[in-house]
Amino acid sequence: MPRKAKENEKIKDAEKVTEKVKKSNKKKNVSTTKKSTEKKSPLTSKSKTTKKSSSKSTTKSSLKKTKSSNKKKTYINEYYDLPQKYNETIVKILAQTPKTLFVYWEISDDDINKYKEQYGENFFEVTKPVLIIHNTTLNYSFEVEINDLANSWYLHVNDSKSDYRIELGRRPFEKNDNIKSDYIYITSSNEIESPNDHILFNNSQKMVYFRNVKTNQEFAKNFSSLSFIRNMGKIYDIYDLYKELYKDEDNFDILSNPSSHI
Amino acid sequence: MQQKKGFVSFVLHAHLPFIHHPESDDYLEESWLYEAISETYIPLLTNFKKLVDEGVNFRITMSMTPPLLSMLDNKLLQKKYIKYLKNLIELSKKEVVRTANDKRLNKLSHYYLDRYSNDLRLFKEVYNCDLISQFKHFQDIGVLEIITCGATHGYFPILYVNEKTIRAQIAVGVQTYEKYFGRKPRGIWLPECGYIPEADKYLKEFGIEYAITESHGILYANPTPIYGTFAPIVSPEGLIAFGRDIESSRQVWSSINGYPGDFNYREFYRDIGYEADYDYIKPYIAHNGVRVHTGIKYYRITGKTDFKDYYEPQWAMDSAEKQAGHFLDCRNKQIDDVSQCMDNPPIILCPYDAELYGHWWYEGPYWLYILFKKIYYDNCNFELITPSEYIDRYPEMQICSPCRSSWGANGYSEVWLNQTNDYVHKHLHYAGDRMCELAYLYPDAKGLKKKALNQCARELLLAQSSDWLFIITNGTMVDYAKKRIKDHIGRFTKLYYQIKNDNIDEDFLKDISKKDCIFPDIDYRIYK
Repeated sequence: MPRKAKENEKIKDAEKVTEKVKKSNKKKNVSTTKKSTEKKSPLTSKSKTTKKSSSKSTTKSSLKKTKSSNKKKTYINEYYDLPQKYNETIVKILAQTPKTLFVYWEISDDDINKYKEQYGENFFEVTKPVLIIHNTTLNYSFEVEINDLANSWYLHVNDSKSDYRIELGRRPFEKNDNIKSDYIYITSSNEIESPNDHILFNNSQKMVYFRNVKTNQEFAKNFSSLSFIRNMGKIYDIYDLYKELYKDEDNFDILSNPSSHI
Repeated sequence: MQQKKGFVSFVLHAHLPFIHHPESDDYLEESWLYEAISETYIPLLTNFKKLVDEGVNFRITMSMTPPLLSMLDNKLLQKKYIKYLKNLIELSKKEVVRTANDKRLNKLSHYYLDRYSNDLRLFKEVYNCDLISQFKHFQDIGVLEIITCGATHGYFPILYVNEKTIRAQIAVGVQTYEKYFGRKPRGIWLPECGYIPEADKYLKEFGIEYAITESHGILYANPTPIYGTFAPIVSPEGLIAFGRDIESSRQVWSSINGYPGDFNYREFYRDIGYEADYDYIKPYIAHNGVRVHTGIKYYRITGKTDFKDYYEPQWAMDSAEKQAGHFLDCRNKQIDDVSQCMDNPPIILCPYDAELYGHWWYEGPYWLYILFKKIYYDNCNFELITPSEYIDRYPEMQICSPCRSSWGANGYSEVWLNQTNDYVHKHLHYAGDRMCELAYLYPDAKGLKKKALNQCARELLLAQSSDWLFIITNGTMVDYAKKRIKDHIGRFTKLYYQIKNDNIDEDFLKDISKKDCIFPDIDYRIYK
């Protein structure tokens, strides 16, 4: 649950200080170790190969130096960075909103070399990356030019409640002896459905289908025989209420509703 | 007594991310649990007990998430909570002395001394440090329905790129529930109310009958549910969905006109941790000397002003009683209107964060207690019900596919996927794929390898908590959330390579198994 701005500031201050403390500890302990390997505190240095029995004496004497360690076990001091690359050729698509898709991608070193072998060493300089967005529900496609500095992109789409798939490819600035086609396919994404964003009042549906969840029997009722939908407008306008509920939600601070975080 | 025409169902979502640092006492974030126990969980239990003792028939539903259950069951955290309380009691005693010359303030300092002393007594002597059994008791006597949640509150609409990771979130959520409550859960609180139709089949596989969704999960369903959120719907795959009622939500949640903003209520942001003389308060704030909340707060909201008057518990109780009456009147009217147009009696579903009650809205648990009493004794056209009871009584429901939705800002995935946190998802997806790869490569591992594989599953699940993404978006404690993502992905990745290269570092595995000790009984083969 979000805290209000005032407290945020206080917490941020607190974080800064804690961060400083942590950082300085980190520096002391781990400055020489490579990324993604656990760092060991010199205070408790227990090397991977050292057996427990032999490390006892060193651990004991060093423990005296730590504050709260009389009874406490010592723990490995760790530091991690997120992996830079996974070295796979992929493109993935997610729906951020009904009309905004998020795409991320990566091309493996092997594939990079493969393209260079096939199309020339300067393949990535003489071509530009593109995303082709396929709306497979309404059966249309469009293309967006991206750039090689990015590895993810937000895309605006016109249609909610549609299936989308994305293709990552490259187009040469101009054709040459090495690159004879005007489009080189690289890879395709997963397919997702973007969420619906409105009440489907449309329907020309005449029948409404029900199920008894205990017996699994299904049956239909004639739509016109049901009074609620006809009277719903008399009770309240769902659209108005919904707008009312969400009117402040461009302001994250006010949107204190969702999510339970203290 | 009026004839009953409808139902109201309160659902409180109790959740905190798994925060457990045996390696250090310096993590401020651990106190989220202690604050929630003192301000929300104990007050709820106390009020449930009062209602039962007074013979008030009530119903309430709570989701208790697996990370919260794991923390409540953790001996180290129980000890740390007792230490936290003892510290607060010591401070309260000093406050009684310090405020001796100010009668109003002194009364309040006594109030806190009593309150925290009572918490300590209850927790140690009455509850035997076991809050879970207390909640279970109320489920066993039929007034409380407890439902489950995803294993670590992983956000389905983004994780489902790899459906097996969703299935594992559900499987572990159900297994954890069974371990603590001795039966299967009938319902689930989807993490962040994130609904995707792809999860239905897995929810059904693990015996889940119903889920809670945001209002538009129902209103935008296909075809349109003819009773709006006033009746549950059932998806083609058989998952029942209950939608949040808009009107009652707004009454409680709205930051402007909502109940928690009443001027007589306690002001959350004024705490002696920030206000008392530094040398005096230093032993009771963060170890590194940073001022933080202590839990001792002397002011009421007072008004839209910087000047704050002292808190008067009696005035706050009066306000809570007035608002409970208002809530009751509004529901009576709403049910009068709606029930005329329905074949079955309507259900008004009121889902909230449990921690709103008590932690943020200090008087919330009392408001709930008064409301439940009024519903029972006053002239009222509805009854309280749990979603399960409603299903049992009215099993015929419209078949519709709920809309992909969440209860975050604007109703979709922006809170958990935006420019501040979008870099995380690639790592979550890769780790998910790699976990499935490991389960496929080693379908029957034994000994050390099996332990390592199980720890990989824990690290993946912990990395998937929606909390880290939320915290980054929200801009508070960001460094901590980022560190948690790096730690779990880092530990996972390191183990992944060690398993594949057959050179598992036993000391490392032991070390992280102690830190990330959630789900001791997990079986990595859920990712097969």
